[in-house]
Amino acid sequence: MSADQPAATAGDQPKVQGVALRTVEVTAGYGGSPIIHAVSIHVEPGEVVSIVGPNGSGKSTLLKSLVGIVEVLSGEVLVGERDVTNWVPEAVARIGVGYVPQVDDIFSPLTVRENLEMGGYLLRPREVSGRVERVLAVFPQLQRMLGRRAGKLSGGERKMLAMGRVLMLQPALVVLDEPTANLAPIVALSVLRDHVRQLALTGASVLIVEQRAKAVLEISDRTYVLGGGQLRMEGTPAELAASPDFVESFLGGGQGATARAAGD
Amino acid sequence: MIYYLTTLLVYGGVDAIACLGLSQQFGVAGVTNFGFIIFQAAGAYTAGVLSLPSDSANGAFQSYVGGLHLPFPFPLIGAAVVGGLLALPFASIVGKRLRGDFAAIGLLVTAVMANLLVTNYRPLLNGAAGLSLVPSPLGGLMNPQSAGYQWGYSAAAVVLAALTYLFVTRITNSPYGRTLRAMRDNDLVADSLGKNLRSLRTSSLVVGGAIAGLSGGLLVGFINLWDPQAWGYAETIVLFAAVIIGGLGNHRGAVLGAVLVPLGFEEASRYIPAIGSPGLIPALQWVAIGLLIVLFLWFRPQGVLPERRRVIAGAAFAEQSTASDPAGAGQRAGRVLGDGAPPPRAPVPLRARGEAGGGDVILEAVGLVRAFDGVRAVDGVSIAFERGRLTGLIGPNGAGKSTTLAMLAGTLPVTEGRILYRGEDITQLPAFRRARSGLVRTFQLASEFKKLTVMENLLTAVPDQQGDTFRGAVLGRRYWGRQERAATERVERMLEEFGLTALADRYAGDLSGGQRRLVEIMRSLMAEPEVLLLDEPMAGVHPRLAHQIGERLVGLCERGMTIVMVEHELAIMDEFCDPVVVMAEGRVLAQGTMASLRATEEVVEAYLVG
Amino acid sequence: MSIFIASIAFGLVTSAVLALASVGFTLQFAVTNVLNLAYGAVMIASAFIAYAVNQAGVNVWVAAVVAAATGAVLSLFLNNVIYTPFQRRGTSPIAMVIVALGMTLILEFGTQAIAGGTNVSFTMGQGPTLQAGSFQLSGVELAIIGISIVSMLGIHVLIRHTRLGKAMRATAANRNLARNCGIRTDRVVTLTWLITGALCGLAGAVFAMDAGTFGATSTDLFLVLILAAVFLGGPGEPYGAMLGALVIGLATEISAAFIVPDYKDVVAFVILLAMLAVRPTGLLGART
Repeated sequence: MSADQPAATAGDQPKVQGVALRTVEVTAGYGGSPIIHAVSIHVEPGEVVSIVGPNGSGKSTLLKSLVGIVEVLSGEVLVGERDVTNWVPEAVARIGVGYVPQVDDIFSPLTVRENLEMGGYLLRPREVSGRVERVLAVFPQLQRMLGRRAGKLSGGERKMLAMGRVLMLQPALVVLDEPTANLAPIVALSVLRDHVRQLALTGASVLIVEQRAKAVLEISDRTYVLGGGQLRMEGTPAELAASPDFVESFLGGGQGATARAAGD
Repeated sequence: MIYYLTTLLVYGGVDAIACLGLSQQFGVAGVTNFGFIIFQAAGAYTAGVLSLPSDSANGAFQSYVGGLHLPFPFPLIGAAVVGGLLALPFASIVGKRLRGDFAAIGLLVTAVMANLLVTNYRPLLNGAAGLSLVPSPLGGLMNPQSAGYQWGYSAAAVVLAALTYLFVTRITNSPYGRTLRAMRDNDLVADSLGKNLRSLRTSSLVVGGAIAGLSGGLLVGFINLWDPQAWGYAETIVLFAAVIIGGLGNHRGAVLGAVLVPLGFEEASRYIPAIGSPGLIPALQWVAIGLLIVLFLWFRPQGVLPERRRVIAGAAFAEQSTASDPAGAGQRAGRVLGDGAPPPRAPVPLRARGEAGGGDVILEAVGLVRAFDGVRAVDGVSIAFERGRLTGLIGPNGAGKSTTLAMLAGTLPVTEGRILYRGEDITQLPAFRRARSGLVRTFQLASEFKKLTVMENLLTAVPDQQGDTFRGAVLGRRYWGRQERAATERVERMLEEFGLTALADRYAGDLSGGQRRLVEIMRSLMAEPEVLLLDEPMAGVHPRLAHQIGERLVGLCERGMTIVMVEHELAIMDEFCDPVVVMAEGRVLAQGTMASLRATEEVVEAYLVG
Repeated sequence: MSIFIASIAFGLVTSAVLALASVGFTLQFAVTNVLNLAYGAVMIASAFIAYAVNQAGVNVWVAAVVAAATGAVLSLFLNNVIYTPFQRRGTSPIAMVIVALGMTLILEFGTQAIAGGTNVSFTMGQGPTLQAGSFQLSGVELAIIGISIVSMLGIHVLIRHTRLGKAMRATAANRNLARNCGIRTDRVVTLTWLITGALCGLAGAVFAMDAGTFGATSTDLFLVLILAAVFLGGPGEPYGAMLGALVIGLATEISAAFIVPDYKDVVAFVILLAMLAVRPTGLLGART
């Protein structure tokens, strides 16, 4: 798995119609106590949008509130035109939202092929093998691992499998939670530059939360910066990279963000 | 009528003793021993075979081992001793890192099988028929059937129960008991504070076993027989039900449970008219017990008498003791931290005062590697920590900072590499021993002892407490009281400095996130560490307070303590830490002051690239 | 030698009953992560319902079907009304064991209260005997083995070749991820408990048939065998349970031929403790 592998071209797989995502003043958290406050973001059809921010800023919580894992205490989540606020995860999946969690992202006791097939659970049985072929076209390295137990894969391979699993349903929106966490830097870059890009090439809208701000900026159309549970900045990668506040919010650390949060 | 009352009293006493033993073992120490009934049975059998004459003497009508025909009190003492000894092999099962429910099954099945073996192997303990004609203690002196004897036995049962109550209460109310409860609430943290879990669990099992054995011995002397029916699968559950319903962690609750459940049920059935088939009422009794267990666990899991919150008399004691404790006189550090003034320097005794700010290396990581499942979370880290310095450890998520800290503290095993403390290789030393020699850590996530008050949380960390051993606990307050008062004063001073005096008697589990963090920091300081490893101590703490904590930490370093702090708040690093070590991808990237690091491109890259 | 061969015959029957029971138990653990210690109680309660029906004149094999239905209903109740609420609350695994033991008392002694304390037997013929030297099996025993084999095949087909089976495997492997794949895990869990409950009831009926006479507490010791089979194969592994059942069934009966028959269950006990101490994930479970 190297960074100079040729990316599959857009014509290789059928396009999906990416769907829009909108959150309206979403406040969410565990057990009634909010971690994120009044967050409003949007993803246009076919866009790649990233969310970055220092540790503990609530990025993961935001994603989890979109797919029904964390309770939305107030505000709305809209996929396309549908209000999916607080829908259970299986219902969210059924309308074409694919979620790749940060951990526990594969079925460890099952083989790679079985993982993919499980991803296609909602498909009609005859469609499954065709879909598997298409996913393998996007991630050819999975081909030689089909019979292997997923728990034995390396970090990068697992992430690739997790994304392949999500692709089985040809989702209109893919939500990824720190896909490069715990991966070696070269592998991480490959995951972002190649694999996530593949997802985008299918036409799906992509929302990705990442720690590696610089790397994810490269592949994003737009980026949000979250801090202390609130939106701090928004813009295109070019705009943000040019902004001194952007670097500050990561290095100068916490002082700005925490002080503001404490003052709330 | 007399026999009815005396039987009631004896059974009550026996059940109370057994429940107290279980309460101590399970409710206080958190050791789930589903084979508990075996110990009571062993005690009964022991008392039986010690007091019975040799089996050939009664024409082989019964066959059993022993038959030493010993007089009172030897059978009873033997019962307790055997009960205690039998616990030793169990200690090795209970300590293992096995899922709680799996371990419980192993023990439960052991009890069932022991019953099966005894039932079928007649030469051992007369098989299914069990032992009968067991002599009553002192039966030669007085007619066991007489009213006098019966009342005497009842009185003895009640007295023994009272003594058992006093004994377990004495243990539980001592610093040792506090340590047991801490182990119950969070064994990993107790381990990191210097508590030897293995030895604590073993002694809990032995004590519980001995008490159970005693109860068995007491019973068999009264009813003069004992067979496998008396200690089946269901009887184990009854004892657990009694302790849970009465109140876990509360010895009065255990006595109440003993009266309500084993005794209460037995008695209640007498008053219910014998309707239906003869087996109906006993069967319904069991159904009722099952219902009670499930209902209580749902509606009132803490039991009828919940564990009492322990309020340790503070100020009153302090006033009393200043006369006898000159060191404490006049040392009231008064100012609360809210007003920005630097915290006053309370004399925190350090165990080994090295040169402050020194140049010598007190703790060193040499080529540390932590790898599992093909992931190298820490990949060859070597850092030398100088004595008297406040070293910061920073880096993006997944850099391996917390893992490195955990290896230094001993709470995670090392895959490769060495750790040197004061020049000695401690790589294989267990965490609790490291804590005892001055290397103490805090945890990133919630690690307070939830069902202990803040005061108790802080007291558990105080090292070398006389009351923190079994022997010390037995010797009682007269032995450890003075030291405890001194420790309590130290805690009060610490609480005042951090402005948390009002929280002293609140359960640590009820505090807010930031408050719990502070308790954790205070607790680690109470341990009088030489080297303190802090894992994200400022997370969730108000910036002004974080600043003041930082100042306090610097003050401690100036007096010889060495501190290593993992943090994300880079502003803290700026102000207080020198040097700062940056890690990324499991390796050390750079080291220096925060200012110099900010200017280093690699470091900036690491933070943004990740 | 002839005792040895005869004991193999006994072993096969025991294995057959054990397989029915263990596969159900292990699948319940797989999807719900709870050790349903009340399993034996459900077995015997179902057996008694079958007995009642049998006494009313119904053929014993039809009564066995009634037992299966009873088992399904009781097991579903156990999971949905008792276990799941406790789990949702965050009850610790040890407390769950105590809850399960409480339910065992209720079910077993409830059965005893209703049915009475004396041991009973089904009204049934023994059928023709198959005999080959010292290897001997009655018609009933052959039928039990047959039922067990058919059920094992059924489970195999269910797990490997049906959509529900797939969903069960996903739910057992990673419940949250299964939901993200669109699987309605709550429904999967309910169906699993219904199916395994039916197995449990059926196992109760054939257990009672094999035992000849039975009472409300007859399955207490049998539960130890179930646990041994489950932990030998690996908790949560259905094929492991089948393997475990075969081994434990044969081992206990064969050892009965060589050591005093009263201790035959001890073999199972030793195997169980050994597995817990050395490899709690079982022979077929992944080493985590």
